[in-house]
Amino acid sequence: MFRLTLDSLLARKFRLLSTTLSITIGVAFLTGSFLLIDTMGRAFDDLLSDVNQGIDAEVRSSEVIETGFGDIRGRIDASVVDVVSDVEGVEAVEGVVVGYAQLVDTDGEAMGNPGQGAPTLGFAWTDIDELNPMDLVEGTAPLAPTDVVIDRASARNGPFSVGDDITVLTQAGPQTFVVSGIATFGAADSPLGASIAIFEPETAQRLLGEPGRYDMIDIVAAEGVSQSELRDRVAAVAPAGTEVITGEELIAESQNDIAEALSFFNTFMLIFSGIALFVAAFIIYNTFSILVAQRTRELALLRSLGARKRQILLSVLGEAIVVGIVASLIGIGAGVGVARLLQGLLDLIGLSLPTAGLVFRPATVVWSLVVGVGMTAVSALPPSRRSAAVAPMEAIRSAAVERTGLSLRRLVGSLILLASGIAVLAWGLFGDSSSTTLIIGIGAVAVFLGVAALAPVVATPFADVVGRPIAWLRGVPGELARENAMRNPRRTATTAAALMIGVGLVATISIFAASATASINKIIDDAIVGDIVIDSGAFGFGGLSPELATRLNEAPEVEAASGIRLGFADIDGEAQTVYGIDAETSGRIFDVGVVAGSIESMGVDNLAVFDEYAAEQGWSLGDTVEVVFAETGAQEMTIAAVYERDELAGNVFVGNSAFEANYPSVFDFQVYVLGADGFTTTEVRSAVEAVAADYANAEVQDLTEYKQGQADQINQILSFVYALLFLAIIIALIGIANTLALSVLERTHELGLLRAIGMTRRQLRSSIRWESVLIALLGTALGAVIGVFFGWAIVEALRDDGFSELRFPVGQLLIAVALAAIAGVVAATLPARRAARMNVLGAVAAE
Amino acid sequence: MTSVDVPSTSASTTPASSAELATKEFGEGSTKVRALDEISVAFEPRRFSAIMGPSGSGKSTLLHCLAALEPLTSGRAFISGTDLSDLNDRELTELRRDRIGFVFQTFNLLPMLSAEKNITLQRRLAREKIDREWFDTVVDSLELRDRLHHRPSELSGGQQQRVAVARALINRPEIIFADEPTGNLDSASGQEVLDFLRRAVDEFGQTVVMVTHDPGAAATADRVVFLADGRIVDEMSGPTTERVLEKLKDLGP
Repeated sequence: MFRLTLDSLLARKFRLLSTTLSITIGVAFLTGSFLLIDTMGRAFDDLLSDVNQGIDAEVRSSEVIETGFGDIRGRIDASVVDVVSDVEGVEAVEGVVVGYAQLVDTDGEAMGNPGQGAPTLGFAWTDIDELNPMDLVEGTAPLAPTDVVIDRASARNGPFSVGDDITVLTQAGPQTFVVSGIATFGAADSPLGASIAIFEPETAQRLLGEPGRYDMIDIVAAEGVSQSELRDRVAAVAPAGTEVITGEELIAESQNDIAEALSFFNTFMLIFSGIALFVAAFIIYNTFSILVAQRTRELALLRSLGARKRQILLSVLGEAIVVGIVASLIGIGAGVGVARLLQGLLDLIGLSLPTAGLVFRPATVVWSLVVGVGMTAVSALPPSRRSAAVAPMEAIRSAAVERTGLSLRRLVGSLILLASGIAVLAWGLFGDSSSTTLIIGIGAVAVFLGVAALAPVVATPFADVVGRPIAWLRGVPGELARENAMRNPRRTATTAAALMIGVGLVATISIFAASATASINKIIDDAIVGDIVIDSGAFGFGGLSPELATRLNEAPEVEAASGIRLGFADIDGEAQTVYGIDAETSGRIFDVGVVAGSIESMGVDNLAVFDEYAAEQGWSLGDTVEVVFAETGAQEMTIAAVYERDELAGNVFVGNSAFEANYPSVFDFQVYVLGADGFTTTEVRSAVEAVAADYANAEVQDLTEYKQGQADQINQILSFVYALLFLAIIIALIGIANTLALSVLERTHELGLLRAIGMTRRQLRSSIRWESVLIALLGTALGAVIGVFFGWAIVEALRDDGFSELRFPVGQLLIAVALAAIAGVVAATLPARRAARMNVLGAVAAE
Repeated sequence: MTSVDVPSTSASTTPASSAELATKEFGEGSTKVRALDEISVAFEPRRFSAIMGPSGSGKSTLLHCLAALEPLTSGRAFISGTDLSDLNDRELTELRRDRIGFVFQTFNLLPMLSAEKNITLQRRLAREKIDREWFDTVVDSLELRDRLHHRPSELSGGQQQRVAVARALINRPEIIFADEPTGNLDSASGQEVLDFLRRAVDEFGQTVVMVTHDPGAAATADRVVFLADGRIVDEMSGPTTERVLEKLKDLGP
C-alpha cells in the first residue's frame, strides 16, 4: 500500500502543492515565533548576565511593591556604602543610581520612545571596572557636573561628537551638558537599543534619583571570598529595611522577570501561529475531502479488488502524513526567514536584537514538526475515514451532482458545538478564571468550527441569492458561477470557512478598536474640562519634569495647569496604581464626578477613592486607611473625597503634596491646561507652546488632536495585528485557489463541452472568477457575522473597564467585503487561466 | 427506414462543410500517427450525411476538424465557405457558438442546469434573445415540454440526448455535427434520436453530419462516407443497413 500512496502522491503533485504551501506557511510562522522567542530570551538573558557579571553581592531595599510591570523598590541611604565597605572580604563597593534620562537630538527632538520601545536610561559613572557594563571608547569619564557620557548608537543618531553640547531630559527638566565621552556596551553600540546617559555620581543622584540615596549598592568580593559568604557577611551588618543577594541570585531573578515580561509577547506570537495553522487545517481537510471524492471510483475499484478498509484509510492518511512532513520541513527552513522578518519589524519599533545567530533549539524543530505533521494528520483523518467507507459498488455507479446538505445528526452536532463554543467563550469573557486567554481561545475555536460545520446549510441559499445579480449582470458565466457555487455546498462552505477565520478576527478587532476609540473620546469629553493636553508619550517611566506645570501656572493665559503622575502602592495587600494631581487646580480641569468631600483641600495625608472601590473595601469619607509606599513604607491616609468616575483617575489618587512626600522621583506623564478667560484658544495655545518648547518630549495638543492621537495609537498597535492576520487571509486565499483548481480538474468534461458549444476563454475565466468571488463573499459574510458577535461580546465584557461605547465600523466592514471580492478575483487567477488553457476540446473529444 | 428523396443540389451551392487535402497528425517523431491523410470531402446543405469506418479510421477526428474543435495539421476545412484556418481561437469559438450545433455521445449536458437552460445555453452564451416560437416548436417536436425543469440526472439517457438535439436545433445552425449520438443509448431511444435528426433535415431544412459505427444508424442518412486509415475509401447514396454492412465487411474490422 505504501507504493500506492507514493504513486498517487506523485500523480497529484500539483494538486498537493497548495496544501503543502498552506502547511508550510503555518509551520514557518510557528518556527519563526519559536526562534524569535528563544532569540529574544537569550538576548535579554545575555544582556542581564553581562550587565551584572561583575556583581558579587547587592544590597537593596526590602520594601517592594509587586506590580504587573515588575517589582518596585525603595531606595537606600548612601551611608550604607560606608557600612558595607568595612566588611571583611569586600574588594569594592559602589552605590548605583539609575533612572530616566532622555537625550534630545541636534534637531531638538527627543530620542527614543520609552513608552513603547527600549528604555532611555541614565546612570551614575563608576570607576570600578567590574561594576561598569559600559566601555569608554572615546573621550573621558564624566568628571564635572556638566559632563555626560552617551552610548555610541545615540552619538551616531544625534549626531554628537565628544565636546558637543547635548540637552538631556530628566526629572530636573531639560538641561544642557557636554558630551565628555562615548561608550559601547561590549561590542554593541548600545544594549538592545536602549539609550544611555552616564553622569558624575552626585549629579546622577540629583537628576535621576535623590541626593544622598542610592537605588542599590553593588559589591565586588575580594579574591577567595565566595558570593554566598560575602552575602552573609554583608547581611550581618546591613541596616533594617535592606536585603542582600548574591550576584548569581540577582542574575537569575532579573532573567526570570524578563521571561515573565516576555511571556505576553510569546503568547501573542504563538496565538498568531495557531491562527495560521488553524486556517491551514481547513485547507488540508478540504483538499483531502475533494481528493477522496474525486477518487471514489479508484478507491471502490481497489476495494472490489480486495483492498481492506484499513489499507485504504492508511493509504490516504499516509499521503497526508508525507505531505505534512515535507511541508513542515520546508516550513522549518522558511521559519528562519520569518524570524528575521519579525526581527526587522521589532527593529522598526526600536527594539534591536543582536543580528548574529538566531537561537535554534532542537525543541524548535521537534515541536514544529510534531505540530505541522500532527495537524495535517488530524485534518486529513475525517476524509481518510470517508475514503475507507467507500463501497466497492461505487466503482460502477457514476458520480452524480452532489447536493448533499447536512444530515440531521450532523446538524444537531454542529449546533451543539456552536452553542458550547459560545458558552465557553462567555465563561472566558465574563467569568472569573485564571486562564482567560486559553478559555477564550478554546471557545473561539469551537465557535469557528461550529459555524464552519453549519456553513453548508447557508452556502446554497447564499450563493443562490447573491449569485442572482451576478447571473443577471454577467449572463451565462455568472449563472454557471452561481450554479457551481451551489452544486457542492460542503466544498464551498469549507473553502469559505478558511477565509471566515481571518475576516472574523479582523472584524472583531476593528469593532474593538472603533469601540475603544469611541469610549476614550467619551471619557475625554466627559472628564476633561481643559483645553490642552501636553503628552510625554511615557507612561510609568520618565515623562515631563513637574517644573513644566509650575511654569505654565505662572503664565497669564493659563487659568490652571495640572500634571498627572502615577506611582504604585500596596493597599490591603494589593498593588494599586496611585495617580497624583494638583489638588488645587485639578477640579477646574478634570471632572471625576466627586460624590462626597472635595479635592481642593487634599493635603499630604489625604487621598481620594473611587466609590465602587471604597464600597468594596468598606470605606467611607473621613476613614483613615493604610497605604504602603516603596520609599516611605506604611502611611496612614484619610479619605478626603469619593468620586464616581474611574476611567482617568483609577481607584485612588492623591494630591501633589502627598505624592511628592512618598515618591522621590516625580514625573508628569501628561499636563492638562485650562485657558484663562479673555484669551482666545490660539493665544492660550501659543503661550503653552512657548513654555513647552523647552521640553523636547512635550507634545502640545488640543483635545481634538489628543483624541486623534489616542486613536492613532490604538490603530498603530492594531496594524501590527492586522499584518499578522493578513497571513491567515493569504492562507485562506491559497485555499480558495486550491479548491477551484481541483474543481476545474473535476469539471474538465463540462468545460470541454462549454468550450465546444461556444463559450469563449474570456467567458470561462469570468465564470471561475465569479465562483471564486461568491466563495470569498460567503467567507466574508460568515466572518463578519462572527466578528460582530465577538466584537460585541468583548466590548460587553470590558464594559466595567471603561468600554462604555459599542461601535460597528460599517465603512470598514464594507471595505472588507469589497476587498474579499477582489481577493476572490485574485485567488481565481491561476485556476481560471489553467482552465482556459486546458485542451478542453481534446477532453470532450476523448470521450 | 428507407431513404428519402433528396433535393438535388446545384453545382454552385456552397457546401455546408467541406475539407480540402485535410491532414491531421498526432504525436511527434516515431510515435507520430497520421489520423487524416489528405482528405477532401464536401457535405451539401439540407442533407443528412453519415461518416463510417472501422475503429481508428479517423472518422471522429474528421468530425472534430470539420467542426472547428481541432485544427488541421495541413489542408483546409470550411464551414459554409468560411476557411477555419483563417480564424483565431475567439473567432472559432464564436463560429461554433453561432453557426454549429453539436450532439455528442456522452457528457452532453451541464449537470447543474435544467433541461431548458441547457437547451438555450448557446443563445445565452451569445447574449442573444431566444426565439420563443422556435423554442416551442423544437421542444414540442422533441416531446420535452414536461421535462424542461428537470436536471440531466433526472432524465433518461434518451431524454438527455433529445435535450442535446434540441440545444443543437434551437440555434438554427448552418450544420449539426453528431458524434456517435446513439452510442450510449438503448436501441429504442437511439432510434428516436435518429428519427429526430432525420426530421430536422426533412422538416426544418437542417444539415446533419453524423459519425457512427452502427450500420442501422447510417442507413437513416442520405449519404454515407466510408473512411479507412485516414482516407475516404468509398461513399454511398441512399444507404440501407444491409448495403452498409456489406461495405464494412469489405473494409475489415
